[in-house]
Amino acid sequence: MQNIKIRLASERVNTSLTFGEEGAPHLYTPGETITDNQRVMSGHGTYMDEENKEVLKASVAGTVERVNQLICVRPIKCRYMGEIGDVVVGRITEVQQKRWKVETNARLDSVLLISSVNLPGGELRRRSAEDEQMMRKYLQEGDLVSAEVQSVFSDGSLSLHTRSLKYGKLSQGVLVKVPPSLILRRKNHFHNLLCGASVILGNNGLIWIYPTSPEDDSGVGGFTQNLEQVIDKEDRERIARLRNCILSISASKLMLFDSSIQYAFEESLNYSIKELLTPEVMLDVAFRTRHRLQAYKDS
Amino acid sequence: MLTTKTFLKKTKRGNILKIVREHYLRDDIWCGSVLCKTCSMKEREKTLEKDLDHSSSLFSFPHYLVLDTNIVLDQIDVLEENSFENVIILQTVLEEVKHRSSPVYRRLKDIISNPDRKFYVFVNEHHKDTYVERKAGESVNDRNDRAIRVATAWYASHLAPSQPKGKNKHVSIVLLTDDAANRQKAKDEGLISCSVHDYVSSLENAPALLDKLSKRNFVLEGNSKEPLFPLHLSPKEIQDGIKAGKLLQGTFLASRENFLEGSVNVEGYEKFILVQGHAGLNRAVDGDTVALELLPESEWVAPSDIVLEDAEEDPGDILDDEAKMEKEKQKAKKVEREPTGKVVGIIRRKWRQYCGILQPSQDKNSIRHLFMPAERKISKIRIETRQAETLKSQRIIVAIDSWPRTSRYPLGHFVRALGNIGDKNTENEVLLLEHDVPHSKFSEQVLSFLPKLPWVITDADLERRVDLRNITICSVDPPGCTDIDDALHCRELENGNYEVGVHIADVSHFIRPGNALDKEAALRATTVYLVDKRIDMVPELLSSNLCSLRGNEERFAFSCIWELTKDATIVNTKFHKSVICSKAALTYGEAQARIDDKTLNDDVVKSLRGLNSLAKILKKRRIENGALVLASPEIRFQVDSETHDPIEVVAKKMLETNSMVEEFMLLANISVAQKIVEEFPECAMLRRHPQPPPTNFEPLVKAGHLQGFEINVESGKDLAESLDKAVKSDNPYFNTMLRIMATRCMMQAVYFASGMLQKDEFFHYGLACPIYTHFTSPIRRYADIIVHRLLAACIGADSTYPELLDKRKSHSLCHNLNYRNRMAQYAGRASVNLHTHLFFRNRVQDEQGYVLYVRKNALQILIPKYGLEGTLYLAPPKGQIAKVNFTYNEEEQSQSHGSIKFRVFDPVTVQLSLDRRNVQHEKLMLLLVKPEIPEFSVPSQAGSQQVEAMDVDEVKDVAPPPKRQKKSK
Amino acid sequence: MDLLSDQGLRLDGRRPDELRNIRCKMGVFNQADGSAYLEQGNTKVLATVYGPHQPRGQARNRAPHDEAFVNCQYSMAVFSTGERKNRPRGDRKSQEMSIHLRQALVSAIRTELYPRSQLDIFVEVLQADGGNYCACVNAATLALVDAGVGMREYAVACSASLANGEIPLVDISHLEESTGGPNLTVASLPISGQVALMEMSQRFHSDHLPKVLERALEGCKDIHRILDDTVRKHVEETGRASGWGQVDRAGIVL
Repeated sequence: MQNIKIRLASERVNTSLTFGEEGAPHLYTPGETITDNQRVMSGHGTYMDEENKEVLKASVAGTVERVNQLICVRPIKCRYMGEIGDVVVGRITEVQQKRWKVETNARLDSVLLISSVNLPGGELRRRSAEDEQMMRKYLQEGDLVSAEVQSVFSDGSLSLHTRSLKYGKLSQGVLVKVPPSLILRRKNHFHNLLCGASVILGNNGLIWIYPTSPEDDSGVGGFTQNLEQVIDKEDRERIARLRNCILSISASKLMLFDSSIQYAFEESLNYSIKELLTPEVMLDVAFRTRHRLQAYKDS
Repeated sequence: MLTTKTFLKKTKRGNILKIVREHYLRDDIWCGSVLCKTCSMKEREKTLEKDLDHSSSLFSFPHYLVLDTNIVLDQIDVLEENSFENVIILQTVLEEVKHRSSPVYRRLKDIISNPDRKFYVFVNEHHKDTYVERKAGESVNDRNDRAIRVATAWYASHLAPSQPKGKNKHVSIVLLTDDAANRQKAKDEGLISCSVHDYVSSLENAPALLDKLSKRNFVLEGNSKEPLFPLHLSPKEIQDGIKAGKLLQGTFLASRENFLEGSVNVEGYEKFILVQGHAGLNRAVDGDTVALELLPESEWVAPSDIVLEDAEEDPGDILDDEAKMEKEKQKAKKVEREPTGKVVGIIRRKWRQYCGILQPSQDKNSIRHLFMPAERKISKIRIETRQAETLKSQRIIVAIDSWPRTSRYPLGHFVRALGNIGDKNTENEVLLLEHDVPHSKFSEQVLSFLPKLPWVITDADLERRVDLRNITICSVDPPGCTDIDDALHCRELENGNYEVGVHIADVSHFIRPGNALDKEAALRATTVYLVDKRIDMVPELLSSNLCSLRGNEERFAFSCIWELTKDATIVNTKFHKSVICSKAALTYGEAQARIDDKTLNDDVVKSLRGLNSLAKILKKRRIENGALVLASPEIRFQVDSETHDPIEVVAKKMLETNSMVEEFMLLANISVAQKIVEEFPECAMLRRHPQPPPTNFEPLVKAGHLQGFEINVESGKDLAESLDKAVKSDNPYFNTMLRIMATRCMMQAVYFASGMLQKDEFFHYGLACPIYTHFTSPIRRYADIIVHRLLAACIGADSTYPELLDKRKSHSLCHNLNYRNRMAQYAGRASVNLHTHLFFRNRVQDEQGYVLYVRKNALQILIPKYGLEGTLYLAPPKGQIAKVNFTYNEEEQSQSHGSIKFRVFDPVTVQLSLDRRNVQHEKLMLLLVKPEIPEFSVPSQAGSQQVEAMDVDEVKDVAPPPKRQKKSK
Repeated sequence: MDLLSDQGLRLDGRRPDELRNIRCKMGVFNQADGSAYLEQGNTKVLATVYGPHQPRGQARNRAPHDEAFVNCQYSMAVFSTGERKNRPRGDRKSQEMSIHLRQALVSAIRTELYPRSQLDIFVEVLQADGGNYCACVNAATLALVDAGVGMREYAVACSASLANGEIPLVDISHLEESTGGPNLTVASLPISGQVALMEMSQRFHSDHLPKVLERALEGCKDIHRILDDTVRKHVEETGRASGWGQVDRAGIVL
């Protein structure tokens, strides 16, 4: 019981890392007029006023992005909005005929068609009726998968595929959830970190941390799950530390990518893993990480 | 601008609640002084002056006063004097005053709202620098005292930078407080402070002001004296006692006859609980809410039948009169004993200001005098005044301050003088004050809402009204009536039915809701009719001119028009606003003469005859329904045109035309009541008359029984029928007397808002109709104005306003109307009384009377001619030996001496005269003439008037409620 | 008790047109998509938003195909009032409040953006001191903004009453609620001036309604200003920490 700490709301640590050195871009809040220029096009996060059709207003709070005539307002935080090619981590919620439903932190569950997966036995195999009956054998409710966004349906839901060895069912590891907007879009979202563990930074804000496998085939893919294998303590601790580090820097709203995570990991070594759960320590780690990133950028 | 301070408060409601409230502290509360240069207050809103003439000899420099709560509470009479100016009232004080005494609070607010007085309210509780938090262990009072001192200090330091240095010009702050501890603390903190007595003594007109100083905190000389009264219990003890059932709570009602006796009305007890003696009453004053301890049954006593008056002279602080009563007590039979108790504490005082006269002290130089209130239920009051010489011949007003244990009388102070004793205006003033009748002149503000003269009817007015000017409308009223609020018409329709219209003065057209005129009328509630004076509810321009439906003048009216069949059944009813032109303003007598004069046959007469015949049918139907015909003696004074002294008294006569007008007014009221309830079921103003409980009728049933008549009181109808049957051929006045007695058994009729009661409670007992209201006299009754407005809203002639539709507001309005009506009635009766006394001042007269009640030592005699009731005492006054002994028979309700027997309803002849030995209470005296009893009765009239007078009571103020629409103008 | 003293101050020291002190904070929960905590005087509420997400449970078949299904739930903590009371969720009063909340919020949310989705809004009153509904609407608005849900504009609610039969009072505290007369609650979209919901505790005379309504709408505007400030501060803070989510070519946060 002595491990439980309760503190007053007023004593909460302010996790923000504001330095105030840079002026903020103009922010728009819901209902605010962006422009009355008729030529612009209304993109995400904006709408045309119903009464006065010429006025473009913001519908979320955030910064404006302009691509030619298209004006969007990007909110600081929102549900995952999928784009083709994104790497996602998700959980199977339903097994239907010919497809799985996957929870990907998007507005609607994503779809993984049986035709979009590599079934055991070769890439070019025909899908038979047997396969449909076997679906649950491959993936069942609750299973975690990594996948890539193949296309976006008209209602906004995503179609996924795992037709690469990178993707597939996840076995031993830890899942961390952060706001999707904190995941930096990069070419590669699979990293074997220097610290000795691997991460999949799903664009949808779900991060999978797992032990780096000795056979360097970067293969988590497929439908095999090795639950027998015992992960040694060192690896487990590393994963746990990594998890806490990711949460630390996401609490301070730092962007997540391989180097920020790696830096955070290194900065956290001053503390025990358990200590990383206290707000002050989390803030300290985030602060140091930011400092490192800043220094790197400046150099 | 907003700073929050949250404080905790605990309240008890069974379980303890923790209440957290926000308390905002501000920096935009200004000091209100013209001097100040730091506050950004608007110039014209600043109250406290710059140049002060300081008349106080105690402080030689200009100053503002800060008052402590105790000063406001105790010394409000002095504060009302103009000598106090430039005063700062702190919110702490204001709140406390509001909490402790609402009358004082109201008076204080009046002073504050008077710009000449320069009273400024400083909201110290919400000022960031003067807010004071209660410390642990500090009592609320101590905290408030500290808050007052903090605010005083703040003022001093706040004003300092704005003023030039130099002691004599420098405006300082003086804290007035009668709390010595507070004064000491203030001194320690470097504040200037003094007691109100010291301050007032130092003012220029000190003597007059000192008289008005409350004596609450003054220590009596010879304080070491033995206390005369038992100690009152503490509020805590009382609370516990009541909770434990050991003590009772009730309202103390002093006896009129015996100053050492009273009763306490305890809720849940059928009978009043008797209290007797100085110790028993224990300083309770009439109206107080007291804590009572019931005595064991063995100590119960019977109410003494004797009349006991406080000694004329000031005997000092001793109690001696008890002995007189002791004897009486022994005699009381066991049966007559009533629950008896003694007052052990006062829960709430209900002291007000009292009218009365000074009873100057024997010692010419003394400043301590006794004051004798006009109300006999109130004890004498000891006051201090330096103006006894001038005041002793005047009626004055006095307030009670306190009643310490060591003082025989309560202590009070002089408030103001009304005028010379015996002067009719003064007496009327006393009468109005005692009955709480607002009678000051209408203020300029009120008058400003009157229509401008010359008043003309515009086309716009005509557009919205039905034009009835060509219809033959006439009014019928008592002679001399100038506020004519109703007129009637009747004409035959082609289908053989009658069209009957009642046209009521459209007062609500002139009095718009919410303005000063309306508020004043709502406060007055009713026009009060004294014998020689009328206290108008609305200014005369309206009451006697623009609203009065005078003959041959165009006036606005609110008309209620029915189509009636020949047998007076309503076919339909219409209401609308109209313009009328009355063709004739008649008196009852004139109208009667015209109806009776067979030679006349003009439109007015035809109209009157039609009305009369319909009215008879209506009346008959109403009586069949069980409406009561009751009687109360009513008289008129014929007044000398110059001296305004009454020269003749006549009983009012009832003509057919009286009842004719009455029937149609009733009909209109009922029709309107139905209409407004239909439209406004929640907030219609109605009038109800509850059925009296059967116990009320006991004396009536008993009296009837002794005469061999069974009075059935089951229902109104039964009562009406049995009263009709009770006729004695040998005593024509018997029936009337029975009806007078029945009147006394009734309940008060009251106004109420329809939403406050169940539908079956709307019933009007006297009129035997399920619903009733007042619509027909808006000039003299405020209720009618409200009903007019409601009806106007019903028919779309006017719009509603929020207060009209607010059930709770209507309810509180009704409360005031009922109170004022009752008071107006009492005042009217008291005025008749006063004039009866004036009438008998110089005469002695024999009159025929009847025995109304038989009491143990007296007969209650009714004299029909003057409509008055007096007591004929059969036992001699105290200290005298009875020459003639009477035997009282309780069963039979009779008094007998030898062969002569007095029973209820028996005729007697009595001699009337005025006993003027007591200036305060002049009394009407009755002496027996017939039947002759040697050594007791007096010879008929003749010269020998110097008979040893016996105590006679004046007309009793029993309250017969008005049963019916009475045109008592 | 007079609601307004002769000196023009209310029982707690405010002037008739002054709001209570409003303090608020966005993003108080990590698990929810959006959350906010708001104090309006001593009324304290917590709001969380989940979604828009795939409809689950009962809402599965209720989500319309052209807009989002908005689910509101109002509840009061057992310790929220002076007297501790067990409040089963979904009692009549809470249900009514939930419906009213939904009405106000739906008018602001661009539900058409989220077809077939479900949006959950949970509001819990931690301390009740009058104007619970208003505080709930305001907190829920903040939580929705925090969740990045598309809204036409803020939905803001404010109450008003009438003192001495003539002077309208804004933002009614519990003390004023219990001693005063009728109470008007308005939820509005303050930029366009539209009224989303209006409720009266008792009947108002129509003469008074316009000025009381106006006072309530003014209160809404004032509250809007305060909420907007909070949102800007919050967005700026988080945006700055993440470098506005922008990256230069080397993949380094700008």
